[in-house]
Amino acid sequence: MKQYNLLIVDDEQRFADMLARRLNLRGCNCDVCYSGREALNILKRKKLHLILLDLHLPDIYGTEVLTRIRKYDERTPVIIVTGHGTEKDRRECMQQGAHAFMHKPVGIDELMTILAEIGEMPA
Amino acid sequence: MIGRFRKVLDLLKPEFYHQTSDHLNPYFTFPDYRKIWGIGIFVLAAAALLPLMVVTLIYYQLIQKSVDSELILRTERVASNARRAVTFFLEERLDALRFTVNEIKYDQLANPIHLAEILRNLKLGFGGLTDLSVIDHTGIQVSYAGPFKMEGKDYSKQTWFVECQKHNFYVSEIFRGYRDLPHIIITVKSFRLDGAHFILRATLETERLIQTLASYETGEHANIILVSRSGIIQTPSKYYGGIFEKMALPVPEYSPRTETVMAIDGQRRSIIVGYAFISTQIADTPFILMVIKQKAKMMGIWLDLRVKINWFVGFAIMAIIIVITITCTLMVNKLYLADKAKAEAMAAMEQNNQLASIGQLAAGVAHEINNPLALINETAGYVKDLFVIKKQYSKDDELLENIDYILEAVERCGTITGQLLGFARKFDVKIQRVNLNEVISDVLVFHNKEAEYRNVNVFVDIPKDIPEIETDRGKLQQVLLNLVNNAFQAVENGCNLDIIASPEGANKVSITISDNGCGMPEEDLSKIFEPFFTTKERGKGTGLGLTITYGLVKKLNGTISVKSKEREGTTFIITLPIRMQEEMSKNENSVGR
Repeated sequence: MKQYNLLIVDDEQRFADMLARRLNLRGCNCDVCYSGREALNILKRKKLHLILLDLHLPDIYGTEVLTRIRKYDERTPVIIVTGHGTEKDRRECMQQGAHAFMHKPVGIDELMTILAEIGEMPA
Repeated sequence: MIGRFRKVLDLLKPEFYHQTSDHLNPYFTFPDYRKIWGIGIFVLAAAALLPLMVVTLIYYQLIQKSVDSELILRTERVASNARRAVTFFLEERLDALRFTVNEIKYDQLANPIHLAEILRNLKLGFGGLTDLSVIDHTGIQVSYAGPFKMEGKDYSKQTWFVECQKHNFYVSEIFRGYRDLPHIIITVKSFRLDGAHFILRATLETERLIQTLASYETGEHANIILVSRSGIIQTPSKYYGGIFEKMALPVPEYSPRTETVMAIDGQRRSIIVGYAFISTQIADTPFILMVIKQKAKMMGIWLDLRVKINWFVGFAIMAIIIVITITCTLMVNKLYLADKAKAEAMAAMEQNNQLASIGQLAAGVAHEINNPLALINETAGYVKDLFVIKKQYSKDDELLENIDYILEAVERCGTITGQLLGFARKFDVKIQRVNLNEVISDVLVFHNKEAEYRNVNVFVDIPKDIPEIETDRGKLQQVLLNLVNNAFQAVENGCNLDIIASPEGANKVSITISDNGCGMPEEDLSKIFEPFFTTKERGKGTGLGLTITYGLVKKLNGTISVKSKEREGTTFIITLPIRMQEEMSKNENSVGR
């Protein structure tokens, strides 16, 4: 199985850690950060296959983080994973080029399926 | 029969008469329409009828006064004329006697044949003379002309003889003499050539005097009589006693002029009395002329007219009361129906809003629960992974640690659902002791995350000296939730929201919720509590939130006011009674419900 580099951005630290551990068990290489700013920093120095992004971050709102990511990286797929998402948020994120918009709790199998789809996409 | 009548009456009763819908009562602008109806009829009737009655009374008074003065005038005129006639009657006869004693010598007068000649001439000239006699200074009658044989009679002890000696002239009361016929004695004193005095005495019949008086009596109810100064009736009277009896009316006070007074007679009839003390130029007389008229009989025409006016006024009053009652009933009923429609709409709106609030709450809670659920999901999934993928059964430490995470997440869910249930229970209507701090914290729980994400500074200041208030916790919570929701929608990220409580006198507490958000223009401010008024985008707001909030605050016996400036922010101030129960009973007493 291909080794995927993932970034999980969520202020629910334990959730993020746990999700990372599970994905790592499935052969992924997950980085975890708890704020938008941190996420943008990691993005600058590391090549990623997928970003899992929460919306309600303490420093920068998720949609804004997405906008900034898209400024210098148009390709890396971003999946929004939120507990508070509204229809407006969903529309906005999809317009900004999010790959998917998911509500918590997220099924690990569903996530793996999406990851497999992404792996098959041409780089 | 009575039952059927009552049914018809019930049909006629306006709708507000059956104002019974208790659940709508708190939404009515006016609590008691029957009372409004009663007061309305009373005030309108008073305003319409009072002037009518006052004018009628004034009119009666004026008519009464003018009728009275007319009656007095007429009575006085009759009394005055009759007085002249009586005075003239007596004066004429006194003059005739004076002429006789001055013109004819005593010797001739003392001669009975001569005296009979003089009597005949006087009878021809004046009539009504019965006899004529001459009495010397010792009181012995020296000559007599008339139907009786009375020469030599001694009159020295008689009143008229004594009085005439003193005053030269004398007019007696009417009395029955030897013949049992009413008559008057008039006497004149003169002197003989030898210086001794003598008296010429004439007896007058009263027939002619009575006829003269009768000729002045106009109408059935007038009575003209002569009475003596001691109140003995001298001429026939219709109503106040027989001749020579004591008069049933009091003797009037002396006056040199003709007088008229109002009085009440023995049978409690209202009378007008005109009187005059008769006095001739030659001598005083013992007579008082009295003209007595019964007022009621004289005022017949006016009384008839008054009955007609009374009927007219009575009908007018009836008509006014009927018109006012009908108008008032229709108007109050219209008002009641409009108010009822409004109350029904308000009740429906509040219910809708409560449902909407609960829905909103449920959605909020669901969102809140999603995060811990996601954690449970991942943790439980990881535990499963440990079993399925890593096969590390023996390393129990990590397993236990993760199970703790699960339990912790479940506990978080439990806290949230507990709060949700607690909040839902607070919609029951009941008065309880409420700690403002707790209520505000409960409300803010649902906005904590949003405040955090949006960086809204929520500042809560509940001073320690604010007492617990007795109110409906659920309703207060809904009010605060609505206002805090509004504030959150009005502010930009990074703005401030202040919730400050302060005591208002001894019995009230005020809660101020102010933001420095977008504010609103003045023209919107006046409409803010109106139903369906919204400043939000079409489809975003129902326009009912503040209407319901207003209704709820009123239900809590409080007041709500708002201040706002565009681009500077909005401040809502709620004032609530510390003891709602007391305030409610006070209000109920004051409206008499």
